Amino acid sequence: MGIVIAVISGKGGVGKTTTTANIGLGMALKKQKIIVVDFDIGQRNLDMVLGLENRVVFDIVQVMDEEVSLKQAVIKSKRSDNLHFLAASQTKDKSVLESEKVKKLIADLKEEYDYVILDAPAGIEGGYEHTVEFADEAIIVVNPEVSSIRDADRAIGILDSKSQRVKDGKEVRKYLIINRINPAMVQNGGMLSSSDILDILSIPLLGKIPEDKGVVDASNQGNPIITNTKSASGQAYSRISARLCGEKVDLYDIEAIKKGLLKKFSGVFR
Amino acid sequence: MFSWIDEGKSAESAKDRLTIAIMSDRDNINFPFMDEMKIEIMQVVQKYLGVKTVEIKKEIDGDYEALSIEIELDKKQIS
Repeated sequence: MGIVIAVISGKGGVGKTTTTANIGLGMALKKQKIIVVDFDIGQRNLDMVLGLENRVVFDIVQVMDEEVSLKQAVIKSKRSDNLHFLAASQTKDKSVLESEKVKKLIADLKEEYDYVILDAPAGIEGGYEHTVEFADEAIIVVNPEVSSIRDADRAIGILDSKSQRVKDGKEVRKYLIINRINPAMVQNGGMLSSSDILDILSIPLLGKIPEDKGVVDASNQGNPIITNTKSASGQAYSRISARLCGEKVDLYDIEAIKKGLLKKFSGVFR
Repeated sequence: MFSWIDEGKSAESAKDRLTIAIMSDRDNINFPFMDEMKIEIMQVVQKYLGVKTVEIKKEIDGDYEALSIEIELDKKQIS
């Protein structure tokens, strides 16, 4: 029976889809059978970040409406035989989601895969609620920025009020990823540090990702940054993926590294 | 004017402001009836006095929690 992880943020544009793609690939490379599912109905993007946009024939809504089988709609990644992808519908909107159908789809996916990773839409409306309803765990992605952190706190509140697990008296485990950290700015007090953010949100930290221009380049090419072993953010995603697979990987304090030195030592720390 | 020293030291104020904003956001989730309650209080007082606004604040001090209700009266309606 697989584990369902929802990747959420509240605010848009903080790196949810990038995170979903990278941890999906990272965990697949660790021999886990993974499916990443784009729940952002009407705004399909995960296909492009994964470089699979030309392979999409059928989408999640067609599967839920039983027009096509899961097998027909699932796409296998070219980068790992363990990574699979189910696209969002681009023509419909979020209102097509219905609890019963989502429940059945997720139950079917859990049968088939070790981890089912759901890329939630931004916002806290219906589409988001359906993404978190049947999740076992949630990864909250934030940027070190007031609007992102406030929206994330709201999203967490709604997660707890909508979650089936919570209604059943269980807990949805939550992990925090802090994305786009600028170490130099944190050091001179111009950016919230990860310990500030942890104080405010009080959720266990899964990993910290430095700001990296390479991420845009990676999305441009449909090639998740985790495949670039020299990139600091790619390495951060590798460590996060290993942690999610149950490996003990020490937290690597990217904020303590001085600008310039980060580059110098990036090959030393793994 | 902001000097270059002040610039880049904004993380502390971000933390303080966020802490307060998030506390009040969480209250609104925990007490979704707050707005309705405000309107009802307003209606009760309005039977006797003119009311401008009703403000409900939550105060937490250790184990002690209290709601303080501040009712601003409408001067025009009193006289």
